[in-house]
Amino acid sequence: MVKSELNKRSPLRIFEKTMHGGLGKGNIGVIASRKGVGKTACLVHIATDKLLRDQSIIHVSFSNRTDHIINWYEDIFREIAKKRNLEKAVEVHDEIIKKRVIMNFSQDGVEIDKVLNSLRAMIQQGNFAAEAIVVDGYDFAKPETGGLSKVKAFAEELGLEIWIAASLKGKEPIFNNKGVPFELEKYLEEIEVLISLQYHGEYVHLKLVKDHETIDLLDMNLKLDPKTLLIAEE
Amino acid sequence: MDYEKLRNIGISAHIDSGKTTLTERILFYCKKIRAIHEVRGKDGVGATMDSMELEKERGITIASAATNVTWNSHFINIIDTPGHVDFTIEVERSLRVLDGAVLVLCSVGGVQSQSITVDRQLKRYDVPRLAFINKCDRTGADPYKVQNQLKEKLGLNAVLMQVPIGLEEKHEGLVDLITMKALYFDGVQGEVVREGEIPENLRKQAEEKREELLDAVSLFSDEVAEAFLEGDVPAPLIYDAVRKGTIQHQIVPVFMGAAYKNKGVQPLLDAVIRYLPNPGEKKEYALDLDNNEAKVELAMDPKAPLTAIAFKLEEGQYGQLTYVRIYQGTLKKGSDIFNTRLKRKVKVGRLIRMHAESMEDINQAECGDIVALFGIDCASGDTFVNGDINYALTSMYVPDPVISLALTVKDKSVEDNLSKALNRFTKEDPTFKTYVDDESGETIIQGMGELHLDVYIERIRREYRVPVDSGMPQVAYREAITQRTDFDYTHKKQTGGSGQFGRIVGYIEPSDSGEYEFVNEIKGGVIPTEYIPSCDKGFKEAVKKGNLIGFPIVGVRVVIQDGQYHAVDSSDMAFQTTAFLAFRKIYRQSKPQILEPIMKVVVETPSEYQGSIFASINQRRGTIISSVEDGVYSRVEGEVALSEMFGYSTVLRSLTQGKAEFSMEFLKYGKVPKTISEELINEYEKKSKER
Repeated sequence: MVKSELNKRSPLRIFEKTMHGGLGKGNIGVIASRKGVGKTACLVHIATDKLLRDQSIIHVSFSNRTDHIINWYEDIFREIAKKRNLEKAVEVHDEIIKKRVIMNFSQDGVEIDKVLNSLRAMIQQGNFAAEAIVVDGYDFAKPETGGLSKVKAFAEELGLEIWIAASLKGKEPIFNNKGVPFELEKYLEEIEVLISLQYHGEYVHLKLVKDHETIDLLDMNLKLDPKTLLIAEE
Repeated sequence: MDYEKLRNIGISAHIDSGKTTLTERILFYCKKIRAIHEVRGKDGVGATMDSMELEKERGITIASAATNVTWNSHFINIIDTPGHVDFTIEVERSLRVLDGAVLVLCSVGGVQSQSITVDRQLKRYDVPRLAFINKCDRTGADPYKVQNQLKEKLGLNAVLMQVPIGLEEKHEGLVDLITMKALYFDGVQGEVVREGEIPENLRKQAEEKREELLDAVSLFSDEVAEAFLEGDVPAPLIYDAVRKGTIQHQIVPVFMGAAYKNKGVQPLLDAVIRYLPNPGEKKEYALDLDNNEAKVELAMDPKAPLTAIAFKLEEGQYGQLTYVRIYQGTLKKGSDIFNTRLKRKVKVGRLIRMHAESMEDINQAECGDIVALFGIDCASGDTFVNGDINYALTSMYVPDPVISLALTVKDKSVEDNLSKALNRFTKEDPTFKTYVDDESGETIIQGMGELHLDVYIERIRREYRVPVDSGMPQVAYREAITQRTDFDYTHKKQTGGSGQFGRIVGYIEPSDSGEYEFVNEIKGGVIPTEYIPSCDKGFKEAVKKGNLIGFPIVGVRVVIQDGQYHAVDSSDMAFQTTAFLAFRKIYRQSKPQILEPIMKVVVETPSEYQGSIFASINQRRGTIISSVEDGVYSRVEGEVALSEMFGYSTVLRSLTQGKAEFSMEFLKYGKVPKTISEELINEYEKKSKER
C-alpha cells in the first residue's frame, strides 16, 4: 500500500470524523486514563498519523530518556507499516523522522512558562514549523504545572493542535457521571476534546467525553489493539 | 611483582572536569612529583601528565601517557586518556588495556555529552568504573544531582560512598558512609587526612545515605544482607560487596571532592585499590594465527609464553617509545621478541617503567603490567610474542576517516621532515591516514574531524618545524548506485600480438549490507574458474573511484551469470579489464547518487541559548532529534551533514559566549540533497576538464 492510501484507510480518520473533523488548530485535546492503559501509544499513534500526512510535530515529555520515546515511535511505525504493507517503508520512515522533534524536560515540577518558552524557541528560532504538539505526562494535579489557560493561549497564538495525555490518579471512582475525570472537571473550559480510555471486558475503548460543544459519553467505535496498542476499529 | 597488587586504571572525563588536576594530585600524594603545577598554571610548568607542548598550551590532554605510582603498597599504572571526541581512537586504545577506570565528573556540569561518549566506550570494553564528582567547591555544586544523572542519563547504578561536608565555598571535607567518619584534609596541600566525628547536622542525612548504600550492596553479599537486618554491618563485609558489585558492573561507587582544593583524593586512591579489579580478574583472549584465528584464553602466568600488545607509541627524546601491556608471560630485557604482524624478531634493548616525565630502567616485567620499550619499530596495535606461539590480540575497532585535507609545503627542503612526521602519526594513530593524490600530487591527510587534523598540523609545524599550508577540509563523500542494471560486455583486442578477450553478463544492484559484494552464478564453466577472481578484482578496482565526483562507490552487489572466453586470448588481465570496463560502461545507467557523512551532533548549552542552538542546527540543514532540559542545562541532539559542520566550534562560541560545547561522531552515510549534488558534480567535471 502506498502512503496516501494508508492515510485514507487509517482508523484515525474515524477518530477525526467522530469529533467533527478533528481537534482543530488552536485547540487542546486530552486523552485521560489511569497509568499503563495505553495513553502514550495513543499519543504516538496520533502523532505518527500526522507525520505520515506530512505534518510536523513536537513531542513533549517529562520522563528522562528520549530513547524510550524514540522506541515508541519506531514500534508504532513498524506496526503500521507491517499491518498495511507500506511501500518504501524505509524511505517514508527517514522522511517523517525529519518532521519530528522530541523535547524532554527532566526537571521535576518544571514551570509551564519554561516549557512554552522552549517550544517557542524551537518553532520560531529553530524554524521548525510544527503543526501539532503532543504532550505526554502533563500533571494536572500539581498546581504549579497548572496554567492550562497559558497552554491554550499558546496554541491559539501559534495555530497549533495540542494533544495532552493525562494520567489519572486517586481512588475510584475517577470519573463523574458524565464520564469526565474529577481531576479535569475544572479545566473543561480550556479542553476542546476529551477522550477517556476505559477497560471494557477485554479491550480498552476510546470514549469521547467532550467534543467541542457537547459533553456526553459517546463510544467512538475505536479500541486499542491489545497486542500493538494501535488505535483500531472495533 | 604480585599482580594482585597491581591496578591498571584510566582516568576518563569530560574536558574541563578537572581530570588533569586530579591526576596531578594523585601523583603528588603518591610522592611521584615534588610539587603541584596547575594545568594552566602561572609557573609556566604545566601539569606533569601533559607531556606535549601543544597540550600545555591548550590546557587539554591529547596523548595518553602512562605513569606508574605506588599507593598503600599497591602499584597503579595510570593511563591518562584524552577527553575530546575527536581523539576517540586514543581513548579507545587506552581503554583496551585498562582493567578499571575512574569517571571524573564536574559537580556543576554533571553528566555532559562527552561523559556519555566516554561511558559508552568504557561499557564497550567492559571496564568497571568508579565515579569521582569533582569541583564540589564550585558555585552551583550539587553531587546529588550528578548522582541522579549517572542513573538517568548513563543508566548506571550509582551508589554514594560519601556525602560532602558543605558545598561550594563551604566545602570542608567528606563523610565516609562505610566507616561513618568525617574526613578532613589538613596540611599545606591536603596531605594529612584527619578523621573526625560526623557533624551533628549531617548525621541524619549520612545515616539515610548509608542505608541506601547497604541496600544496594546487600544484593552482592548475603552476609551484608544478614548483618544489615541485625543492624550492624562491619566495614570489611561492605568493602567486599562493593568490590563484587563494581567488578560485575552492577554498581558504580560514587566518590567526591575537590581536587584543586586537595580534597577527596586519598580516599579515591584507597577505593581504586579496594574496588577496582587486578589484571587477573578478567579473562583475556588472543587469536591463534596458526589455527585459523581461533580464540585462545591467555593465562595470568609469568611462566607462560609472552603475549603483549603495543597500544601507544610516542616520539621520545631518544627515539620511539612503545607502551606495551603484557597479557601473559614475562617480558625481559635483552630477550628476543617476535612481532606477529610484521613477522619480525626484535631485541628488547631497554625496558622502562614510566613515571610522569621521568623513566626507570627495569630488567623484567610480568603479565598484567604496563611498561615501555625503547627503540623498537612497530605500529600501534601490534602483538609481541616470544616465538613459541603466533598470537594476535584482538584487533581494535578502527572507524573510517570522514574528513581530509591537502597539505602543501612552501619549501621542498623540508619534505623529508614532513614525511617523517606523517609516518610517525599514522603509526601512532590508526584513525589518521595519509596518501599522495595521484592526480594533483598533493599530500592528503585524513581523520575523524576538524580538530583532530588541526592538532596534527600544529604538531607538524611545532615538533617537526615544517611550515605547512593546509587546504580546505574535504568531506569523504561516497557514491552509490540506486537501481539494478544489467550488463553484457565484451572486451576484445585481437589485432596482432597477444590478444585480449573476455565477455561477461550479469547485473549490478544496491547491496543490502552496504558493502561491496561479488556473487558468482556462472554454471558450466562458460568462464573458467581461474578467471572468476579476476572479474572480482576488476570490479573492485572499478568501485574504488566513481566518475560522478571521483569518490569510492559503496554498497554494490555484482552478480555474474554468463560469459565467454577465448582459449588463447583470455587471461587474468583480460578478465580484469573486462570487468572494469563493464562496470564503467553501465555505472551511469544505474542512477548513481552521492552520499555524505552524517554526524550525530550533541550540543550542551545553558538553556538560555537553546533557541540559538536550534537555529544554528536548522541553518545547517540539520535535523533536531531531541532536546533535553534539566534546569540550567539543555542537551540538544541532532543529525547534521559533516560538510555543514566546518567552523561550528567558532560559531557556537560566539553564539553562547563560549558557554556551550559540542561533540560529534560519525553516524551514517546519507543522501546529498539534489542542488548540492549538482554543484558537486559540476565542480568535479570542471576540475576534470582543467586537467
